[in-house]
Amino acid sequence: MDVIQIKNFKKSFGTNLVHDGVTFDVKKGECLGLVGGSGAGKSVILRSLIGLEQADSGSILINSVDITHMSEKELVEIRKKIAYVFQNGALFDSMTVFDNLAYSLRAHTQLNESQIDDRISVQLDEFGLLSAKLLYPSELSGGMQKRIGLARAIMLGPDIILYDEPTAGLDPYNTIKIQELILRMKSKGVTSILVTHDMPTGIAVCDRFVFLQNKVISEDGQTEELLNKPDSLINQFIKGQIV
Amino acid sequence: MKSKTWTTTIPDDFKKSFEAFLIHLGGCGLLIKKFFSEIRTKPFYFSLLVEQIYLIGVKSLPLIIITALSTGMVMALQYGFGLEKFGGKPYVPRLVASTILREMGPVFTSLMLAARVGAGIASEIGSMVVTQQIDAIRALGTSPIKRIVIPRVLACLISLPILVAICDVVGNLGGLIVGYYELGLDPQFYLRRVLDTSNIQDYAVGLGKSVFFAIFIVVPACYFGLNVKNGTKEVGLATTKAVVTGSLLILIGDFFLSKLFWIFDKWM
Ligand SMILES: Nc1ncnc2c1ncn2[C@@H]1O[C@H](COP(=O)(O)OP(=O)(O)OP(=O)(O)O)[C@@H](O)[C@H]1O
Ligand SMILES: [Mg+2]
Repeated sequence: MDVIQIKNFKKSFGTNLVHDGVTFDVKKGECLGLVGGSGAGKSVILRSLIGLEQADSGSILINSVDITHMSEKELVEIRKKIAYVFQNGALFDSMTVFDNLAYSLRAHTQLNESQIDDRISVQLDEFGLLSAKLLYPSELSGGMQKRIGLARAIMLGPDIILYDEPTAGLDPYNTIKIQELILRMKSKGVTSILVTHDMPTGIAVCDRFVFLQNKVISEDGQTEELLNKPDSLINQFIKGQIV
Repeated sequence: MKSKTWTTTIPDDFKKSFEAFLIHLGGCGLLIKKFFSEIRTKPFYFSLLVEQIYLIGVKSLPLIIITALSTGMVMALQYGFGLEKFGGKPYVPRLVASTILREMGPVFTSLMLAARVGAGIASEIGSMVVTQQIDAIRALGTSPIKRIVIPRVLACLISLPILVAICDVVGNLGGLIVGYYELGLDPQFYLRRVLDTSNIQDYAVGLGKSVFFAIFIVVPACYFGLNVKNGTKEVGLATTKAVVTGSLLILIGDFFLSKLFWIFDKWM
C-alpha cells in the first residue's frame, strides 16, 4: 500500500518554477532516498508533505487522504503522525533539551510530568545523549543538536519520518549514529523519506531512490538495480558527472 | 503606445512605498484576525502568558520609572519657572498632573516600550523564523499564533496600562520633588492640588490610550518578526521596522485618540 503519494506536484516561488509535475509514491515501511542537486527543491517537497508549503497544483495524499488544501487546524492530526527532521535541528533555543523533547508530549498526550520524564530519559539513553538532558541547545555540538532534533521529532511514535539531510556536516562517528537510528526506525516499520547528498548513508539505509532533476522526477528505481546500472543517473550523480 | 494613466504619473518610489504600506496593513489585519480566531480555541498557554508579562511588563519597570521621574521633574521645572512671573506657581501641580495623565504618561511609556519590547519581540520572532523554530512549532502540530503571538499580545495589553498607571504616580512624584526643592511648594499642598484638580476622566483617557498603544507596539512587532524571509540580515531590518512603525503609530494615533477622548469628555 502507498503511504505517501505525490501526484503532478507543481510549485513556484514568484517567477521561480521549482517543481513542474513531480510524481512519486512511497510504500508502507519503505525508506525512499530523494536525491538531486542543490536547489533542486528537495526540501520544498518534504515541507509540502507536512503542509509547511502549499502546492500550486497537483495533490499530496497521506494514507490516501488528500492534504493539499487542508487548513492548519486539520493538518494537526497529520503532523502528529509525521515526523520532520530539520536539517539544522531547529531546536527551540530558549528551552532545555528536556523541554524540547517534552514539547510534543505536553501538547498532544495526557501524560503527567513524571511519565514524560521517564519517556524522555529512555529516549535520550537510546540516543546516547542522557547527559545532555538539562543543557540548552547552544551548549551542544552540531552533531548532538541534529540527534536531539531527530529524537524530538519521533517522541510521539510517528508512522512516517521525513529526514532532511540528517548527516550533512557530521563526522563519521555521528554519521554512523544517525544511520543506526534511521535503520532502527525502519525496523519498527516506519515509512520514511531521506533527503541526502551523503550517498554512502543513502545507499546503506534506502530501499529505493528517486532522482529529482529539471523540476521533475527523472529516475525511480530500487537501490540495487540502480547501482548495478552503470549509466543510471544515481551513478552519474555519485561520480559527480551531473547535478 | 500605452496611454498615460494617473498611476504612471506618480513617482515609482512613492507607489512602491504605498503598496508596501497596504501590504503591511493587510498583513497586520490578518494577524489580528488569526489572533481572534485562535484565542477562542483550546489550548491556552497560561504559563507562556505569565512569562511574557514578566519579560514585557516587570522587566520594563526600571526604564519606565526613570522615564517618568525625569519627565515629571522637567515638566515641573519648566512650568514653574515659566509661570513664575505671572504668579502661576500654584498651578504647577495641576498642569503637570493633567499633562502626565493624559499625554506624557501614555505616550512616553509606550514609546519606551516600543523601543524595548517592540524591538525585542521582532528580533526574537525573526530569529526563530530564520532558525526554522517557527516551522518546527508548526511541524510538531502546534500553532505559532497560540504559542508566540497570543502570549505577547495579551502580555502587552495587560502590562502597558499598568506601566502607564505607575508612570502617572511616579511622574507626579517627580513633579512634587521639584515643586518642593526648586519651586518652594509645600508637598501637602502639591499633593492635594493634584488629587483635587485631576478627575477620573484624566486617568481613564491615559489608560484608554495605552490599550491602543499596546496594539500599535505588539502587532507590527509580531508581524514584521514573522515575515522575516531571507536570513539574519532581515532580522535587523524587521526590528527597525517594528520600532519605527510602532513609534509612528503611537505619535499619530495619539493625536486622533486625544481628539476622540475630548469629544467623549464633552459628551459626558
Ligand atoms: N520560502 C521560499 N521563498 C522563495 N524561494 C524559495 C523558498 N523556499 C525555497 N525556495 C527556492 O526553491 C528552490 C528549491 O529550494 P530547496 O530548499 O527545496 O532546495 P534543496 O533541493 O533542498 O537544496 P539543498 O540541497 O541545497 O538543501 C530554490 O531555488 C530556492 O531558492
Ligand atoms: Mg534542502
